[in-house]
Amino acid sequence: MKSTFKQSHILVMALLFIAFNACSTSDSDDNDLVLTPINSVVVDGYTVKLSSEAELETGANALYLELEKGGKSVDMKSVTMMPMMDMGTMMHSSPYENPVKFEENDKYFKGMAVFIMPGGEMGSWSINFTIVTESGETVEGSIAIDVASSWKLTSVKDSAGDSYFISWVEPSDPVVGSNDLTFMVHKRVSMMSFPAFADAEVVIYPYMDMGGGQGHSTNFTAPTNKGNGVYSGDINYSMSGTWTTSVELVVANDTLPEVVFEYSVKAK
Amino acid sequence: MGPISNATIMKTKLSLLFLFWCIALNAYAQKRTLTVLDKSSSEPIINAHIMDYEDIVFAVTDVNGRVTIPESRERFQVHALGYLLSRFVLSEAADTLFLIPTILHTDQSVVVYAYDGNKANVKDYQSTQSHHTLDHFLNNIDGVSMIQRGAFGWEPSVRGQSDQRMNLTIDGMQIFKACVDKMDPISSYIESNNLSKLKIDKSGSGVAENGNGNSSINLISKKPEFAPFKLDVTSGYRVPDEYRVIAVNSNYSMKNTAFQLSGSIKKASDLHAGKDSVIDNTQFSKMNLNVGMKHVFRSENSVEVNFITDKATDVGYPALLMDATKALANILRVQYNWKDSGNPFQLNSAMVYGNSIRHWMDDYNRDVSQRPVMTGMYMPMYGSTGTLGSKWSGYATIAKHKFEWYLNGFVSEAKGDMLMQSLDTSIEDMYIYNMDDVITKNTSLGGKHSFMLTPRFLIKVEESVSFTSLATNSDNYASMFESLYNKEYKPRNKFLLSGSATAVWLAKENWSLSFSSIYSERLGNHIEMFGHYIYNYVDGYFYDGNPWLKPEKSLNLELNSILELDNHSLSVSLFHKQFSDYISGIVVGDVSNNNFQFKQYQNLGNAIMLGGEIRLMNSFWNNLKTEVRAAYTYAQNTTLNDPLPLIPPLKGMNSVTYTKAGNSFTANMEWALAQNRISNISSIEDKTSSHAIFNAVYSKVLFDGNLTAIVEAKNLFDTYYNEHTSIANIPEAGRSFMLTLKYNF
Repeated sequence: MKSTFKQSHILVMALLFIAFNACSTSDSDDNDLVLTPINSVVVDGYTVKLSSEAELETGANALYLELEKGGKSVDMKSVTMMPMMDMGTMMHSSPYENPVKFEENDKYFKGMAVFIMPGGEMGSWSINFTIVTESGETVEGSIAIDVASSWKLTSVKDSAGDSYFISWVEPSDPVVGSNDLTFMVHKRVSMMSFPAFADAEVVIYPYMDMGGGQGHSTNFTAPTNKGNGVYSGDINYSMSGTWTTSVELVVANDTLPEVVFEYSVKAK
Repeated sequence: MGPISNATIMKTKLSLLFLFWCIALNAYAQKRTLTVLDKSSSEPIINAHIMDYEDIVFAVTDVNGRVTIPESRERFQVHALGYLLSRFVLSEAADTLFLIPTILHTDQSVVVYAYDGNKANVKDYQSTQSHHTLDHFLNNIDGVSMIQRGAFGWEPSVRGQSDQRMNLTIDGMQIFKACVDKMDPISSYIESNNLSKLKIDKSGSGVAENGNGNSSINLISKKPEFAPFKLDVTSGYRVPDEYRVIAVNSNYSMKNTAFQLSGSIKKASDLHAGKDSVIDNTQFSKMNLNVGMKHVFRSENSVEVNFITDKATDVGYPALLMDATKALANILRVQYNWKDSGNPFQLNSAMVYGNSIRHWMDDYNRDVSQRPVMTGMYMPMYGSTGTLGSKWSGYATIAKHKFEWYLNGFVSEAKGDMLMQSLDTSIEDMYIYNMDDVITKNTSLGGKHSFMLTPRFLIKVEESVSFTSLATNSDNYASMFESLYNKEYKPRNKFLLSGSATAVWLAKENWSLSFSSIYSERLGNHIEMFGHYIYNYVDGYFYDGNPWLKPEKSLNLELNSILELDNHSLSVSLFHKQFSDYISGIVVGDVSNNNFQFKQYQNLGNAIMLGGEIRLMNSFWNNLKTEVRAAYTYAQNTTLNDPLPLIPPLKGMNSVTYTKAGNSFTANMEWALAQNRISNISSIEDKTSSHAIFNAVYSKVLFDGNLTAIVEAKNLFDTYYNEHTSIANIPEAGRSFMLTLKYNF
């Protein structure tokens, strides 16, 4: 009987071992907001700080504005802004969305700008802003910014000569696996007006050129119109390396010339 | 109350005296412990019935074949299923009783005794040539064929079922191959000289122990023996492929502890096929070591520790675009064995094991600039698996019914990746996960029951319930499958049921019939569910796994008959296996092109496999033996109306052996008919011609049996041929000659 007792204990240990196999654990991810400071300016004793999720580059960029005075955060009631490129002989703006209160952290107002060219010798970018505090004071000014060149923006003209700017919004850092795919399309109406264009069909084809005339595509969901110039789908990268995604805008049954985004997909 | 009479007092005294006498007799009754063994194998016979001459059972042998009986049982008889009934007189009997096997085999599995003398019968196979590779040996067993990729790493296939549809284990341990291109079947990590036997269950009736009803091959390694010191060295050399091998086997034991060591080193240059053709990239080099220790405690419980390490380098794979630079396996097993306690609940053995398999391939030594596939690109690949597991077995008794139970569990992690480096330096390196952090977990509980309805009729029932879980720990990797199938990913967990029932009838002492039915469920394996762009060298497609596969079910019906006369024996097996939710690949057209074609695993309806095996052995004049083996499998996906791929045609082997005074000469013919039933839908095959090759082996024992010399000539007529199961139609070896010397110290 004693032996049976011991054996029962051993069997229980075996069951625990096997039960351990059946258990699984998962780690939760931290999604804390990490911002990159871009620049700041002091206006009438207020410090206006501009941040983004990465260094600014051509294409769509999230912009975060915050206001401080004496080292303390100041509540903002409203913020308006306009990106401006000063090319010396001329100035122009770019597509943008005015900032609104950022729900996840209300010390920020979050907006968006699509920089349609890099800064540098050709000209310099700045963000003109007007901030109204909760106490009713108005803070106006301009923040100089650097904008680097990137692969995330391209443009195409229709037969009438109108320009359409296509921004690659997501994935900002493509990785192997399924990625949300988002484009923004804006039409240039004037040098200061680039409204979102929501009346296009976006046709894409991802492809990996493996050299020697070989290559393959991967599965994807074609982007559909989500309104306000946003077109979303998804793309499933089967391997890392250099991929291209060709984009054709179909506007009023007119298929515009194909443009190609070329980028690197990381393994993880 | 009146006075007590003297008669009453006397009566009471006599009663008490009789009672004391009975008690004393019972207390001091003499008993003897006997051990019942199989006469041919000397292995213990479990559950042998000890009966009086009225056929009343009064004792049963335990797991070690032992039984204790009172000496008052002077005359008794012993019967066990599969053995002749034997009668004994206790006072004249030795402590060890031997039973003579009949042809009634309660187990549907066949046992292949690797190199252990005269144990073979019509059911059991035997190899006498220790230099034989395991691959070649398995390939000659009827119903077993090898999927070949050159000279190395052949993959066993039982009745056309391989890989995920069969269990291939070493000492019952679950081991997963590391190469996602299936270049390293588990059998490539063990050598024939460190095997004691192979247990092949073609029908899959061993449900309780295996956890499913798949066909199985269990490669059983050599164990330490309590025997005099033994050391033998084997060396061999073969031309023209310059295959050379040196192997050593040793066993040493003390009073309670025994040690065993076997190892081998082998190397070969390129394979020479028939008609003087040399097949490039077929060389290999391999080292294998197997060490073991066994200790028996005073309690008669024992512990075994066994470690196998295997390293292969410079392995050419002519069917592939690349070769293996290195393949490493480390396999550790610790097993505790309990002495029979006689308790209703009994633990027999508990095993804990772990193994690590790693496999490196690359094509740096190939000309990649001109090849038609993946042109101008190097593709180094790496794969690894790691498995931890445990197996427990014993007896239990419920409501007077004693049965065997098995409790198994393992957890395994698989990884595989490939780097693609273009010769064009302007092209960025590409990297692909073929398997990213894929975890397989399995727990199974099985029971094995025997009901001996009459001394000639046995019903055996086995059942198993298992819980299987497959998942990937990589969110990115999981998202790829979500996108492929447009479903939300969750780890795949499933309870699976399997069961078998076998009726065995000993029609006569030399003729038995058995009928088995086996139901089995299996979830797709880690490659079928989580593989990504796994290249299939049979049809040229890249396969994606499908985590949402339904379990594949099968029902196998099998009829076996064995007739065994003094000098002649015949074994016939017929089977019919029906699959539903058969897992196979279907073409994904929207991303395929001329360069790359893709498939996804799906449940593709129903399939059947039917066929049989026959084996006939005859002995004449005690020194001439003939043998005929043949096997055929018909396999069809009935939903697609397409033959299943990699099914061997009707094939067999005929041999004649003459033995006299330490000399033995064997001539045999291996043959196969043409295979014209080829898969065109679920795979892309081509037809294979028939062939017959002739071999001869001469062996001579010298120096009082200390030296054995073997000369072997294979494919005497230098026939150029390939088996249907040869990937990419890589031809088999042409004419070769080999000399092997084995010396016992």
